[in-house]
Amino acid sequence: MAARGTARRGPGAGGSRGPDPQEEPPPPLQAVLVADSFNRRFFPISKDRPRALLPMANVAMIDYTLEFLTATGVEETFVFCCWKSAEIKEHLQKSKWCRHTSPNTVRFVTSDLYRSLGDVLRDVDAKSLVRSDFILVTGDVVSNFNISKALEEHRLRRKMEKNVSVMTMIFKESSPGHHARCKEDDIIIAMDSATNRVLHYQRTQGLKRFRFPMSLFQNSIENVEVRHDLLDCHISICSPQVAELFTDNFDYQTRDDFVRGLLVNEEVLGNQIHMHVTTEEYGAHICNLLMYEAVCFDIIRRWVYPLTPEMNFTDDKNQSYTHSKHNIYRGVDVSLGHGSVLKENVLIGQGTVIGSNCSITNSVIGQNCRIGDKVTLDGAFLWDKVHIADNVEICHSVICDEAEVKEKVKLKPHCVLSSQVVVGPGITLSEGTVISLHPPDEEEEDDDQFSDDSGVNKEESKVKLKGYNKKDVGSEGRGYLWKADDKNEEDEEEQRQSLWGPALHSEEESESDSDLSMGSEELDSRAASPQLDDIKVFQNEVLGTLQRGEEENISCDNLVLEINSLKYAYNIGLKEMMQVLSKVILEFPLQQLDANLDSQNYFSALLPLLKNWTPLFKNYIKRASDHLTALFAIEEFFLEHDSLCTSIAKVLMTFYQLEILEEDVILNWFSMRDTSDKGKQLRKNQRLQKFIQWLEEAEEESSDGDQD
Amino acid sequence: MGKRRGGSGACGGGAAPVGGAAAMPGAAERGSELSEQIEAFVARLRGGGERPRSEDTARQTLSLLRKIVAHGRWSRAGELMHLIRTEGQRMTAAQPSETTVGNMVRRVLKVIREEYGRLHGRSEESDQQESLHKLLTSGGLSEDFSTPYPPLRANVIEAINELLIELEGTTDNIAMQALEHIHSNEVIMTIGYSRTVEAFLKEAARKRKFQVIVAECAPFCQGHEMAVRLSKENIETTVMSDAAIFAVMSRVNKVIIGTKTILANGALIAVSGTHTLALAAKHHSTPLIVCAPMFKLSPQFPNEEDSFHKFVSPQEVLPFTEGEILAKINVHCPVFDYVPPELITLFISNIGGNAPSYIYRLMSELYHPDDYEL
Repeated sequence: MAARGTARRGPGAGGSRGPDPQEEPPPPLQAVLVADSFNRRFFPISKDRPRALLPMANVAMIDYTLEFLTATGVEETFVFCCWKSAEIKEHLQKSKWCRHTSPNTVRFVTSDLYRSLGDVLRDVDAKSLVRSDFILVTGDVVSNFNISKALEEHRLRRKMEKNVSVMTMIFKESSPGHHARCKEDDIIIAMDSATNRVLHYQRTQGLKRFRFPMSLFQNSIENVEVRHDLLDCHISICSPQVAELFTDNFDYQTRDDFVRGLLVNEEVLGNQIHMHVTTEEYGAHICNLLMYEAVCFDIIRRWVYPLTPEMNFTDDKNQSYTHSKHNIYRGVDVSLGHGSVLKENVLIGQGTVIGSNCSITNSVIGQNCRIGDKVTLDGAFLWDKVHIADNVEICHSVICDEAEVKEKVKLKPHCVLSSQVVVGPGITLSEGTVISLHPPDEEEEDDDQFSDDSGVNKEESKVKLKGYNKKDVGSEGRGYLWKADDKNEEDEEEQRQSLWGPALHSEEESESDSDLSMGSEELDSRAASPQLDDIKVFQNEVLGTLQRGEEENISCDNLVLEINSLKYAYNIGLKEMMQVLSKVILEFPLQQLDANLDSQNYFSALLPLLKNWTPLFKNYIKRASDHLTALFAIEEFFLEHDSLCTSIAKVLMTFYQLEILEEDVILNWFSMRDTSDKGKQLRKNQRLQKFIQWLEEAEEESSDGDQD
Repeated sequence: MGKRRGGSGACGGGAAPVGGAAAMPGAAERGSELSEQIEAFVARLRGGGERPRSEDTARQTLSLLRKIVAHGRWSRAGELMHLIRTEGQRMTAAQPSETTVGNMVRRVLKVIREEYGRLHGRSEESDQQESLHKLLTSGGLSEDFSTPYPPLRANVIEAINELLIELEGTTDNIAMQALEHIHSNEVIMTIGYSRTVEAFLKEAARKRKFQVIVAECAPFCQGHEMAVRLSKENIETTVMSDAAIFAVMSRVNKVIIGTKTILANGALIAVSGTHTLALAAKHHSTPLIVCAPMFKLSPQFPNEEDSFHKFVSPQEVLPFTEGEILAKINVHCPVFDYVPPELITLFISNIGGNAPSYIYRLMSELYHPDDYEL
């Protein structure tokens, strides 16, 4: 078996593999492909089709990932599916990967119990699937990277120092502002330039200022590089230890958790993470529709060569294209009406019929679509069997399988029509409209935010008797507008972000044409935490706990216990914990008051709460630094809510009287110099100054008293 | 060319002897192994990461085809031809710009026709197709290739082995003619890196002193490698940018280039930049000599569905790290140029020098007209 495996390796690995320095050949390369994203960024599209099967230039995303793995010399791939696993399995069984001639053996592991990447890797460990170093990718990675060099480096490192380096992450060099960089995935990294060791890994999340631990620069490492020009390809070479570490640390959910945990505990566990930077090859991870658009264009513009449409790497008869000038790709049996123009970067799938006098540019059109006369498509992504009637204009939008757009409909940028939706005739969809056949309200009921499949079981039971809103979808339309109208505005924003990614948000604010103006100027605290990261989730959980505590009158001790367990579950540090707690409690009355935001009302609502939860604070605020952290959190809150500014003195007073915060620390905080303009303004608040004055006097008195 | 030698001990050189019998134990396993090898070859063609050498591609194709002949399930010549044709289609579709693959498939098909004809008792001269009349009517004289001949397998394998031997010697055969074309103190211009041209120049340098100017052939700059290799042989070499081709051309005595493919009309598919060079040579009436082995001769015409050009990742033209600008512009990186036949003075192949207008004749000698379309 082993001999057979190595015999096969030669041709599969490509010519660039150098002679192996080791005597015995390395074991066959394995890969773990996670065909589930464990989030709902592609809802409502991914309700009908798992994300791994979404067509990318008419080829399912997972095919790109498998082609990448096969081309790089992987001989055994474990595909882990959860959401809609049957569909993924069916797709792959029909594809060339499951033919007996495939150099890459694909094995399926399905379970509905996976809720995160952590679960998958724990399962890998439990079933001991991997024998040696393996490649870990998600099912939405598009890359033409040749892993052999990175793998060699990885193996060499593992050989030199036994089991110290556990993972090599692959990054692609691309300067900030590049269209394939999305804000959500933006990272900043500190590395040891001599050994390529990762020292610090952080998502930027739109922040302007970053903190690096001092220990980073105090170590014996000669050159520390801080890099912000890297794109995380979400490809990593892992040693079997990675799976074990996931088992040992059951709170690791994502790869980020793992990296963070490993870097924080580096001294304790002695494990290191390294990185490999590629400049020439392509690698990108599709995390939202903005990235989907960018990567699609990169494929059509041939950046991912040889994974271009006309190569037909999936070996599917329906997928043969001819490539001609200006990156126009045409499938078999495409008919183009008189006077229709394909300008540039257009891909048209097999059997599509296009009417006369159309103008199509920068678009991908699937198989068997029908497009009427005088249609303008710019940046449109039509999947299979889409019907477009006459005089339609579509701009930067995604239209899924079997959707229909009637006459004279206009789609403004960033619209999404999920499958079988019908719109029109004669309406204009405003920017960012999302329409699906699934009613949106079934969404808000479920609490599990991490899995693709939550809420689906309920969907079956719910009979859709609700009529379609003709105003939204037109007189002959079918579909529900996906807009959280009963909730506050932030929800809507979140939803739109979740499809198109946060860069859209900044675009709206800066009013510019380009998606790239990711200027950091307009970043306020809201943009700073756009995604549901751990801290946010944690915050929500704490809020929930406290609400319950308030309603059911749970004692503070029990609350402390619950919050503590949450803290461990989300791997939150004490400092963040402090910030979150202060913030949650201060925000608490806001929910009850809603509209009449008045500092008087606010304070009267807050006061009993503070009194109730004093033990809670006392439990966490112990050292002087904790006091300061709490104070900063309070400051931040009041900066965000200008209208409540006046009550800051009262709040601080209460904290002081309840002996949560000490006067020294308050004074210390007040006299801090390096604050922003807003902070200075806050400090000029009369009442606050009075309060500080009072404090200072009290202190003097007490010290006087001591002298006597 | 390619006349069969008598006797059976013809195989040698790099070609390993192959067992002829198909009904061996484990034939099925060998069949699957074979399809795996074909799959790997197709994948490699598709990947096309490092510019493969045409001669290597030709050799690999031939040895794969030989394996198909040896281990494939067939009993009649017609079945074998069908088998080779289907596999050949797969291989050529994987990378249309790699015409050598298709050429080798056509050569093998021709070999099968010849061997079958011989066993069928057709006289030697009838398949030579010498008269224009036969050339025209040959399409109608199709045979059904249905009579089974047991010795066919061994004969075809042997003929393929001969083809392989012929491949071995092509570069040397071309280089041997160097002294007829390069004279002392001449200034030769070339572009990019071609192994055939390298061997040609080196051969001439053993006897004569001359100067070589190499156009670097951006953006891949294969010209740099060419210059390094030539200067190691003590040839006076100058590298210059592609933009300077026209300016320097007036001082050049001869232009000697390699090519990827020779088309049926005598045109070239050569590395991009060659058309510029050829036009400049035409303007200054400098002779343009193309060194190309016969296996690069392809019976295709340039107007077929634009399948010849190959656009690779624009990385070399404008790096991906460039950032913001990439969203606003289109960058293209073509690999090949089309050079029309009227710009070419002479082809030097392993069987001697020919004018572009004679290519059609060579074509009909090498391939059977029925095989032009695979």
